[in-house]
Amino acid sequence: MSEQPVLVIGGGPAGIEAARGIADVGYNAILVEKRNVLGGTPELANYAALTPDFRDAGEAMAEMAATVTNNPNVDLRLGSTVTATTGSSGNFEVTIKNSKGSEKVSVGSVVIATGFQHFDPGRETQQYGYYEYDDVITLVDLEKMLKAKKVVKPSNGEPPKRLCFIQCVGSRDRQIGNEYCSKVCCGVAAKESIEVRQLVPDCKVFIFYIDMRMYGYWENEIYWPSQEKYKVNYIKGIATEIIKKGDRLLVRGEDTTMGRPMEVPMDIVVLSVGMEPSAGTREMAAIFEVKLNKYNFIETTGGALNTVGTSVEGVFACGATTGPADLEDSISSASAAAMKAITVVRKSAMAG
Amino acid sequence: MSLDLSGRQYAHVDYDEKERLFDEVKGDLRYDEYLYGCYECGICVAACPSARFYDFSPRKIAQTMAREDVDLFYTLLNDSVWDCSQCFSCDVCPRKNSPGGLITLMREVAVKNGLASAQEALEGYGRVVYKIMATGTQVSPDMLQANAFPDWGPHVKDIAKNLEYWRKALPPESMNTTETSWQVDDKTIIELYLIWHMTGVMDMIKEVDEGLFMILQDVMEEKLEDAGYDVSFD
Repeated sequence: MSEQPVLVIGGGPAGIEAARGIADVGYNAILVEKRNVLGGTPELANYAALTPDFRDAGEAMAEMAATVTNNPNVDLRLGSTVTATTGSSGNFEVTIKNSKGSEKVSVGSVVIATGFQHFDPGRETQQYGYYEYDDVITLVDLEKMLKAKKVVKPSNGEPPKRLCFIQCVGSRDRQIGNEYCSKVCCGVAAKESIEVRQLVPDCKVFIFYIDMRMYGYWENEIYWPSQEKYKVNYIKGIATEIIKKGDRLLVRGEDTTMGRPMEVPMDIVVLSVGMEPSAGTREMAAIFEVKLNKYNFIETTGGALNTVGTSVEGVFACGATTGPADLEDSISSASAAAMKAITVVRKSAMAG
Repeated sequence: MSLDLSGRQYAHVDYDEKERLFDEVKGDLRYDEYLYGCYECGICVAACPSARFYDFSPRKIAQTMAREDVDLFYTLLNDSVWDCSQCFSCDVCPRKNSPGGLITLMREVAVKNGLASAQEALEGYGRVVYKIMATGTQVSPDMLQANAFPDWGPHVKDIAKNLEYWRKALPPESMNTTETSWQVDDKTIIELYLIWHMTGVMDMIKEVDEGLFMILQDVMEEKLEDAGYDVSFD
């Protein structure tokens, strides 16, 4: 029996990397992407520069996409979704649907790389008036402004004099149900704070945090420079509410290390929204009947020693499909998933 | 220090004036080596002896400067900076900040600008400053007077009676003196005077204590002139 292809679902960084890896070792991948472009959330959400290295996101995603485009080992299916599956490890039959119709294909194993979506700060507690005040925006909204190299108050088009980030919006919050840390928001906020200071040098920038999670080299790559070189003010304390005062916003909270309450005027408030499982992740979990964890990310079942195995043999998950992940994590777990997916098709070919 | 309720602390000071003082501290060449960024972790407070006894926090100093909180800076400049014993235990900082170093800079700015708080804080040190600047040694036997340092105890009175004899009992010749801790030779004194003059210490004294300045000026001018230096303190 010849080797079956591996089905990779999701054309973001993790899915591309998994498909590329499979192709590079001479196996075949079918890469299915719902949208008509590759690049996933970084592309969809207009990321400007990557964290932590400030590399141009568009350029990086294009470079990744090129590795699976016109690649003889990658059967690229854009504008397509997976709608059904039967069979088991080594011999799945999946239905792939596009605008022209449905097609059944045989695959040996599956890599789900359908990723995350940004937390909607208007959902649940509505604490910060995201849908109420024009000048309350998210990391994602700011990223779009940074890409256009124009950071202004949405309400009046003027450059901000004071801008703040509020961390952990939609993360680490029992009220909302997302008890986990979204891992990337600290780094992204620090990165964006630097970019704001570069673009609008006379704008004071504040970051209100619970604790900054700048693990590994993010510390000296983005955190220290933002504070030491770009004079971003880090204040331990989370805003309790935002109220409108004149044409400015008033952020109320506690400056915990100074031991005093604070009420500070801001022109723009940026909510550092976290990650939630994407619709695609939830759909694929249902189709492949893999277990979700408490937060509706796909659960990995191998503990610390297998970060990509799911509750269904032959089905793997990588990137932010299994939980909050930065780009570095996503690329690494994608390679791990590719390796395990290949192992399945190789073993079943040898057995067959 | 006695509680000052004269209202001085609450006198209005323009933001611009506070910012000018703030910028003077920041403008010091040493500033960049004393402050990187503050974690607000408190390791400096834990290491600080003054923080055990006073409402004093080296963290607050670093934090205030890092955050560029000009108003709070001004408050600390008039108060907290004088609670520090300049022991630099706070140099344990993982970011390599030196809150004690920042305080050095702040004190210098407070003195150079003749802040009333600095004058008050330094008032009690006039005697020591005079001694060290005029003689090159800090504490001398003739300071052993009953009314000078009550904490030295009542027996000081008896000791003070026959100072010269007591001192002659000390073997090294250079110690047989009552006006200084030891004999300081003229060359050393002249060099010290020149240092006080050239490094701006005299200017600082002038700002903080005019009377002391005049006394020192008299002492120094005469000696310097005799040694052939033409130094004007004006």
